[in-house]
Amino acid sequence: MNFKTKLLSLAFAGLMSASVVSAYAAEVTLVHDKAFWAEALQKVGDAATKATGVPMKQNAYSPPEQYKAYMQSSVAANDPPDIFTWWTGGVYEELIKTGAVAELDDIWAEMIKSGEFSEGVRDFYKVGDHVYGVPLHLSRWIVLYNKADYAKAGISEPKTWAEFVSNAEKLKAAGITPFVATTQDGWRGFIWFEEIMLRTNPEAYMGLHTGKVAYDSEPVRNAFKIWADWYAKGYFSDPRSTEEVADFAKGKGSMNLIGDWAIGLVEKAGMKPGADFDAFIMPNMDPALPSSTILEGGPIMLSKKGMAKPEVVNALKYFVSVDGANVWAAASGNALGNSKANPPNVIVKKINDDVAAMKTASYPRWWEAVPADLQGEMVAELNRFMLTPTMETAESVMTNTQKLNAAYWADKQ
Amino acid sequence: MAHFPHRETDLQLMERIGWHQVKAVENRAMKRNFWKAFAFMSPAIVLVCGLLLMPVVYNIYFSFTKWKKFSGLDEFAGFSNYARLPGNPYFDAAFYNTAIWVAASIVFPLAIGFGLAVFLRGVAFGNVFKNIIFLPRILAPTAVAVIWFHVYAPHGVLNSLLALVMGQPVDIGWLYQDNTVTPAIIATFVWQSVGLVMVLVLLGLSAIPKDPLEAARVDGATNAQAFWHIILPLLMPTLVVVTILSVLSGFTTFDLLWVMGVGYPGQRTLSLAVYMYFESFQKGSWAFGSAIAVIIGIVVFSVTWIQTVMQSRVDRMTR
Repeated sequence: MNFKTKLLSLAFAGLMSASVVSAYAAEVTLVHDKAFWAEALQKVGDAATKATGVPMKQNAYSPPEQYKAYMQSSVAANDPPDIFTWWTGGVYEELIKTGAVAELDDIWAEMIKSGEFSEGVRDFYKVGDHVYGVPLHLSRWIVLYNKADYAKAGISEPKTWAEFVSNAEKLKAAGITPFVATTQDGWRGFIWFEEIMLRTNPEAYMGLHTGKVAYDSEPVRNAFKIWADWYAKGYFSDPRSTEEVADFAKGKGSMNLIGDWAIGLVEKAGMKPGADFDAFIMPNMDPALPSSTILEGGPIMLSKKGMAKPEVVNALKYFVSVDGANVWAAASGNALGNSKANPPNVIVKKINDDVAAMKTASYPRWWEAVPADLQGEMVAELNRFMLTPTMETAESVMTNTQKLNAAYWADKQ
Repeated sequence: MAHFPHRETDLQLMERIGWHQVKAVENRAMKRNFWKAFAFMSPAIVLVCGLLLMPVVYNIYFSFTKWKKFSGLDEFAGFSNYARLPGNPYFDAAFYNTAIWVAASIVFPLAIGFGLAVFLRGVAFGNVFKNIIFLPRILAPTAVAVIWFHVYAPHGVLNSLLALVMGQPVDIGWLYQDNTVTPAIIATFVWQSVGLVMVLVLLGLSAIPKDPLEAARVDGATNAQAFWHIILPLLMPTLVVVTILSVLSGFTTFDLLWVMGVGYPGQRTLSLAVYMYFESFQKGSWAFGSAIAVIIGIVVFSVTWIQTVMQSRVDRMTR
């Protein structure tokens, strides 16, 4: 081998190494805690890799506590990941306050200009004057119902509160438990509480999250009275079950109040969306109140160092594009609010149409809206009510939750 | 008068053979050996320092900071995290529950494991029973917790068996009620830990020499007298080891309480370890959680130290 050949070989090897290193450096990794969606997220990653030419991978930290620990220590050490999922509400604001995450105002301006996203969706991720996240999923909390049970009881989708209550009565009379509701996994106690609060007094519901409304106030007591009354009438399934979705699919209850992300799970359990089960938005107690739903929207966020990398920004843009949203919907059964993308199933399409027709307002989920420091203790109290659903328990639950609430907000003043 | 020749002292002997040179050679050999030994031990030293001592030191450091969620890691808090502990209702409940848990994890596995060991000695198919009883020990505590969570479920195995016996439906939420949740989880702990206690006691029993027992029999000792005055004292070192292991596992048990207590809304399943996890991982109060961890460490260290002193006394008594 002469000198010239050696030099050429070295140059070639150098080029190859440089290309390998640069390809590795350009790889994008979405860090998240949704192990149950890891496969679906990787499908979007594979599609993004084809579309952008930059490898996109996902890395799941599970359970969420471990993920939070990782994020808190990495932000504290000033080394957050480039692109990651998070939650809305109190924990969203806490993360933004650290100054580690990037503002996505320009990306949102493009998304709205394309006509694919509404300003309403953007505002869901806004804190102050800036937007810090794009939707990973946007799930409305709706009432799934068993169509065969409804036919058996001779009832149809309720349009008013009176019809909703009447449906429950008729189902019970027909020997069918109206509602499936459990304390499964220890976090579900808030679901019916937040919904009854929203349907009876949305203003008080929002006031709970800022300390302006007490947990032992009249609007809360009123919600507990309705909830306890329905328990007394036998409207709810066994709260100790650990298979809520399966219980609904097995017919242990006719209606299931849950996020629309559960539609895919019910389908997996053997029911066909649209044919075997459908859904509606629960009506308000006072017909004069505007239509509303609870909206749960997990965000994808960029750190400031991620924002400085074009390949990371491109990966984010692909995720919310029509193509990305379609791959995501097919893989996970979730919508992310892109109005030009295909809805993941017929039920989500129908709910989206209803939301558009009724100009339905979105309210944050209690879990995200309540101060993160109070979540655990408060939801345990709500679970306690579900296990012993009397007004006596309700009174002690209200006292205990208000004690926690008052102490938290007193600390903030 | 007899004449004794001049006797060389040790020092004189060592001077004559050149002990300075011998000492120097020995010192060089020791130095060489030290570095050889150090080289062989270094992987273990690195592991112990990196995986055990450093996290402990870091944890103590964190407990004196204001680290909560994303910030405060570099802010000194003095003893304020420790000052929050006395009078804190959750800490008091966790301490009380842990004390009950530790007491139960000593008494029940020891009593049942001891009884089984004595009973299964010399019984036909004893080895089969011993293996079956030891089997749960090899399962991961989380797997055990999940299995028993379903056993205790309202429509689980236990209620079904009780319904068969009683001839009517049984609907007890074992893991959802104040009065049943602690006994139910303790029973699971005993189920898993009794096998190890039994094996250790069996080893202890087989190590007891036969001579004192035979001598006692010749002297007319009854079985009870032989047990109380010979077997039990000679078994004491084993029982102290078993007690230390039980105390440690009682203080640090987390998996069973966390997994089996997921649906229970009260505070009976709140041990110190669960409280530490809740404050750190769920609420992000890392500094406060670290302070709880330090308290657990101090309590465990103190109890283990007392037991070690006891063990050395027992060893001296039985020697």
